Formats: sequence, C-alpha cells, structure tokens
Amino acid sequence: MVGKNCFAIASDRRLGVQLQTIATDFQRVFKIHDKLYIGLSGLATDAQTLYQRLVFRHKLYQLREERDMKPETFASLVSAILYERRFGPYFCQPVIAGLGENDEPFICTMDCIGAKELAKDFVVSGTSSESLYGACESMYKPNMEPEELFETVSQALMASVDRDCLAGWGGHVFIVTPTEVQERVVKGRMD
Amino acid sequence: MSRRGDWVYENNGGTCVAIAGADYCVVAADTRLSVGYSILTRDHSKICDLADKCVLASSGFQGDIKALHKNLAARELLYQHQHNKRMSCPAMAQLLSNTLYYKRFFPYYAFNVLGGLDSEGKGCVFTYDAVGSYERTGYSAQGTGSTLIMPVLDNQLKSPSPLLLPARDAVTPLSESEAVDLVKDVFASATERDIYTGDKLEIVVINKAGTTREYIELRKD
Repeated sequence: MVGKNCFAIASDRRLGVQLQTIATDFQRVFKIHDKLYIGLSGLATDAQTLYQRLVFRHKLYQLREERDMKPETFASLVSAILYERRFGPYFCQPVIAGLGENDEPFICTMDCIGAKELAKDFVVSGTSSESLYGACESMYKPNMEPEELFETVSQALMASVDRDCLAGWGGHVFIVTPTEVQERVVKGRMD
Repeated sequence: MSRRGDWVYENNGGTCVAIAGADYCVVAADTRLSVGYSILTRDHSKICDLADKCVLASSGFQGDIKALHKNLAARELLYQHQHNKRMSCPAMAQLLSNTLYYKRFFPYYAFNVLGGLDSEGKGCVFTYDAVGSYERTGYSAQGTGSTLIMPVLDNQLKSPSPLLLPARDAVTPLSESEAVDLVKDVFASATERDIYTGDKLEIVVINKAGTTREYIELRKD
C-alpha cells in the first residue's frame, strides 16, 4: 500500500499444506535492496526459488551497473522471468513495492505468468485476495503518514486473513520510508 | 454460460448485507441484475418484506429467489390466517431454514440474509447457506461481494467471541445512522472491486416505528 513518500508491504505468517499448518513464522516478504521489497504468495518452494533467482540477477546488475535496480526495472525483470516459464509456470503471485526516483513509491502485482498490474493505491495477492480487496478499498486513504499507514495495513491484513482458513497466525509488516525501514510482527488470531 | 443441457442454475450476481442494532435492523442490497458479463437491469430489488418486522434479502439465481420469496410470503399469509398475528422474525428464520432444506437434493440457488426485530424488539440477523444451515448473528453479508465486505464488518462491528461467559449480545452498539453510513461505505468499496455489484443500493431500516426505505446511487460501471 502506498503512503506519503513511503510504502507498506505485509504478509501473513502461516505456511500450510491444505489444512495442516507446517510453520507459523514463514517469511513471504523479501528484501532486494534497501528500497525494494518483493512479497511472494502461492507455492512456497517456487517463492523461495524465485527469490533466490531474483537476488542473483540483482547482484549481477549491481556489479555491472554499480547501482541498485529501480523498482520499475525490477518489476519488468520479474515479469520476464515468470514469462520464460509460460507453459510450466512458477505458482507464485508476486507483489513488488519500492521507492523509485525521488523516493516516489512504486507498487505493482503480477499473475503467475508475469502480467504486470500497476496501481496507485494498493495491490494484493494470495488466498485472501478478495477479502483484502474489500478491506483495503474501504480503509485506504491517499497520502497517509507512516504510522497511520502501518495501522491501516495491519487492520486490513488482520481483518482479511481472519476470514481465510489458509492464512493467518499473525502478520509481518514492513514500513519503508526514504530514511528507514520498520519491520513489525503483528499479533492476531492464532488459528 | 453452459452448453450442457442439464445445467439449470445461473448466477445473477449482487450482494446483500444486514446489520442488527439494539432496537433496529438495517437490511441492504444492490439492485443490479446480471448474466455472465452483461447487465440485464439496473433496477431489480432483491429485498422482500415478509412480515412487518421481518425482511429477507437474497442474492444468487433470481428464478429460485422469486420462487422462494413467493413460497415464504404464502406461508406467512397462512400463518396470519391461522394464528391471527404476523410471523415473528425468529419464526420466519426457522421456516426459511426448513424450506431450504426441503430441497436439499435440488437446492434453491439463493444466498439469504434475514433481518428484523425479535419479539423483544431487539435487532436480529440470520444468515443462511443454500441448503438452510442458519445462525443468528449481529451482522452478515452474502452474495458476490460478501468476501469483500465481511472483513470490513468484522473490523468495525467487533462481535464478541461466542466462547465468552456469560453470553454477550452480538448486536452492535452503533446508532441507526452510523450503521446506515457503514453500509453505504462497504457497498461503495464492494462496487469498486466486484463487477456484479453496483447501480443502486436499496437500504431498508426496520425499527419499532416501522419500516423505511432509502435508495443510494452507486457506480454504474
């Protein structure tokens, strides 16, 4: 979700196989560089593999270009990597968030074969995506400061995952501003 | 759309919401009727007044919904003739459940929310699945926009856990106008993201003075 010169990216913490919960501290939001984060929902093994491949590509980019990748460029990279596997896809829906030129927030999401969807307000993915659309649409306001953004994102996330039996066990919220990153674990219904 | 000759249902879309208060009940539904990606009409009511303190909102297959409403209205009239009074909301709730389960093996494709005042004058909302499983709650949403609306109602109306003792009321302490504003807000959000919800919103408020109706414009795209 986009705020005033900042953004928030959040995920739940459950890892499950159908109805069995395997882990309650699973990390789904990964850092690419200080101002670029990617969240990967869907198949856990594909999320981890994709993350490893993207970090690899970004490190190569850093060596060649001697700078960090812009979020828009990174989004195109993710889209290309996903489309390479058009007929045997990675079962992941990424959510990308970063601060671009002049620390302008950038967010986008994709389906599992790389169709990019840019948004100005918020993007969602995962099993609770419909609930998240409803909650975010109701709670979002433009130009929120980091503290208010954190409250809004946490409330929307907790309300939505509480209606989904495959998501939950708390939330992991990152608030990224040009100067710092706040990482918080939100306690919710543990079921 | 189905080519098979035996598929007898169709989803006409739409969303219904009800919220129970201390002495009122708000029942609301959008007025769009759709088939596939087309709109059939922007002006179709999904709400049926069954008794003076009892209102039913249903979304799903309108053919089955029309039949269901007709059935229930007829049964209510019979009850009136036999008992010399109108049916109470909890009684209608049980009747609706039995009517739905009667067709357990060829169900009514109807997702219902029943709202009204119980015999003590307190708001009550009953929520159903297609085959009659029901529960009295403080608020509910059914239909294509229900997954978008329910988390927001959970967040705003914070129902106490049913595990608490002594049992706490699920009805919201909000005032009638606050509840109506909440309903308008959630429908505005659902209209943005759900293609089957929109056009107009019909809000029915039941309290001890009677029943009032209000129409609000929603996005038409």
